[in-house]
Amino acid sequence: MKTMRILVTDDDPIIRKLFAKRLRQEGYQVTLAPDGSEAARLLDAMPFDILITDLVMPGGIDGIALLKRAKEISLDIEVIVITAHSSIDTAVDAMKKGAVDYLEKPIHFDELFLRLDKIREIKSLQKSADDLREAIQVTENSAAQTIQELEMINSNLLIKIDEMEEILTDFSQNAEARIERALKILEPR
Amino acid sequence: MLKISPDETRLITRYIHEISGIFLDESKKYLLETRLNAIAEAEGCRSYQDFYTKAKADASRTIERKIIDAISTNETLFFRDTNPFQLLQHKILPELIDARTPKVPSMKTPLKVWSAASSTGQELYSVAIVLKELLGDLSRYNVKLLGTDISDTAIAQASSGKYNKFEIERGLARDKLQKYFSLTGQSWKINDQIRSMVNFRKLNLMLPFTGLGKFDIVLCRNVAIYFSQEDRKKLFNKIADILEPDGYLLIGSTESLTGICPRFIPKRHLRSIFYQLK
Repeated sequence: MKTMRILVTDDDPIIRKLFAKRLRQEGYQVTLAPDGSEAARLLDAMPFDILITDLVMPGGIDGIALLKRAKEISLDIEVIVITAHSSIDTAVDAMKKGAVDYLEKPIHFDELFLRLDKIREIKSLQKSADDLREAIQVTENSAAQTIQELEMINSNLLIKIDEMEEILTDFSQNAEARIERALKILEPR
Repeated sequence: MLKISPDETRLITRYIHEISGIFLDESKKYLLETRLNAIAEAEGCRSYQDFYTKAKADASRTIERKIIDAISTNETLFFRDTNPFQLLQHKILPELIDARTPKVPSMKTPLKVWSAASSTGQELYSVAIVLKELLGDLSRYNVKLLGTDISDTAIAQASSGKYNKFEIERGLARDKLQKYFSLTGQSWKINDQIRSMVNFRKLNLMLPFTGLGKFDIVLCRNVAIYFSQEDRKKLFNKIADILEPDGYLLIGSTESLTGICPRFIPKRHLRSIFYQLK
């Protein structure tokens, strides 16, 4: 993952501009939304890696509702909520509902960048694990086919050997008849 | 990091075999060091000999539990490898239900399934989900789903029915996730109806299977691979003893019973193999 796609939702135009400027300077792809409804529309329309949202916003969809919406759309979207110092409880509540982290106002961007780095690191490790699992799965499927084939062939051969043994040791018939019957078992059915 | 000597490697691998059945040969020295070092150091041990003595003397068996957790592999997924679950859904369960439905309509249809190495529970919950989807109303059935594992920690997580997003996302289709799980905080919890269908308890597969009863289906997937050839023979022989005469055994997709247990005969259905008693 070279750059992460970030959606920033805040009703304050100055804060939005500040986020856009600082995040773009760091090389992130930034999209801005002025409220929850617009953010929800954007989440539906295009993929994002991270949603940064203010908790308190005017309109029908607040930060918590937006968080829920984002997680419904994709569990891969990581959500960071922004909160005033006085409402840490709400931020903790957001984390219980699936937010990965919270930021206190005023925003310390260096702190945010560190957290974004950590998220990227975790996502990249996760991707390596997924790739490895995928590779194992391909190997396993191919091995499984071979093993199944061998297991069935082996089992059928064992059954044939048992049958031949039974016929060959059936001394009520003469040797020639026994051999003839035994050879029949080897013919493909 | 504590270094392990060849003598200590033999001592510890023998001990691990004793407590878990897991067979490690001397080439696994590296695995022992990386997985056990943290526990040994936390116990204040100066050597692996010291660690062994301490583990043996620990009446609470806390160290033993920690060793089992560290050594056992809990790689499992919901619907890991889709084939066996399709086999259950389209072949085994319909056949069994046909065979088990009592003549008297007021009696319930019994069905007993055992996941022999259930790890953190995903396999058994997947079976429960398949059953629920197939049967709908379960009131006419007497379904018993048992999961056992050597690790107390795995059993505890399985019983809780809670999974983090990494454990849940892979393998589980979105519709099943929405239908059978609810999100609480960062973890997903299986719903009570599915939860109530299953039971988990600790079991060492090396010990006798007393009190388990008989089963219609046994899943013993990807666990015997950690055992020695001798122990595999014993294990599948014991499974043959507790399987109903017309019951079904499922093993891992890359496992084979050739040379392990002649009492079973492989049968093929589509892309899967299952085993039945001869």
